[in-house]
Amino acid sequence: MGISSSWDGTFTSSDFFLSAKALSGKWKTTNPAFPPWTWVPSPRSLGAAPSEVQGYLSLEKFCLHRNNKENRDDDSYYEKGDPIDKAALVYLILVIGEVIKFNSACQVHSYEQEINFYDFHIVYSNSYRVPVLYFCGYHCDGQPLTLENIEIDLPTNSLEILRESKWTFMTQEEHPILNRPWYTLHPCGTSEWMKLLFYAVSSQANREGVRIEQQYLISWLSVVGQAVGLRVPLEMLPSMTNVLT
Amino acid sequence: MMATESPTSSIQKVVVHLRATGDAPILKQAKFKIAGTDKFAKVIDFLRRQLHRDTLFVYVNSAFSPNPDELVIDLYNIHNMLIYVQEDLSVILFFSDIYGIAVLKFQNFGFDGKLVVNYANSMAWG
Repeated sequence: MGISSSWDGTFTSSDFFLSAKALSGKWKTTNPAFPPWTWVPSPRSLGAAPSEVQGYLSLEKFCLHRNNKENRDDDSYYEKGDPIDKAALVYLILVIGEVIKFNSACQVHSYEQEINFYDFHIVYSNSYRVPVLYFCGYHCDGQPLTLENIEIDLPTNSLEILRESKWTFMTQEEHPILNRPWYTLHPCGTSEWMKLLFYAVSSQANREGVRIEQQYLISWLSVVGQAVGLRVPLEMLPSMTNVLT
Repeated sequence: MMATESPTSSIQKVVVHLRATGDAPILKQAKFKIAGTDKFAKVIDFLRRQLHRDTLFVYVNSAFSPNPDELVIDLYNIHNMLIYVQEDLSVILFFSDIYGIAVLKFQNFGFDGKLVVNYANSMAWG
């Protein structure tokens, strides 16, 4: 699928599947130390064509570092570095986790210093025809986080939006496949800003060169990830070979 | 990582070209020079001040909305590499094999590159 100027910013569920594969592949090579994005197939819903691939993308046990007052103004949760640095960081986090577990076994239990884990799911919305991010957070003992807990982990920018537009940004809704309440980012503006994102690409000479089904989810996550503090590294931009094929 | 590939990149200036999209107003000063070592947040702040808006949708030409703490030089390098590839397909195989050298070679070609940053009034949420 090439990009035309009349493109409305949405895509089909089979493009979602292709795009999901591209995202998880790229993520694995650029973030080898992080948990992977994996495709979770789901049972075919009633009325869906047999050829349709149903499922969602899942990133589990992702660790967003907990903001404190000192670094409140800094939205980055890790410094840029090569994969070895990241691996070292993850290791350090695991060690800290162990220390905290040991401490909490000895003392009165407190969540103050803990590292929180997040599960992120990207689900295709049949009504909006765009991807939707669902997420839930939990303490390291598995206890779910409340919105107040989650707010501490969110980038400062998101907190402002949360205060200004409470019901059109981040809300708790039923996860369409798990049927449990998860937090979600409202998809009503998604197709509009996706159109903008690809506008520049579509006005360039090689309209046919960039394929939406390869790039859509990575571009989408570069925006959505910022809302929850999930960073998409620049290395995930389309590589030269991808632009060609 | 990428910023260290060129020995001169630490002092390199990047010309940022601000381009209005959607219904955003065009700025009087649409081009400015910025140190490559500055963060993208500085570009966003500049736009916010000029347009008197807190919420803007800011993105680069490769269909990507960079994290505010990315370095301008990294965005510039990645962006120009893509444009270059689009303009001359004959060098792609060479570049794709030696990714790291590509940026240096490319800069030596003297391409008058600038980082195009698009902005729109629309908000991603709400």
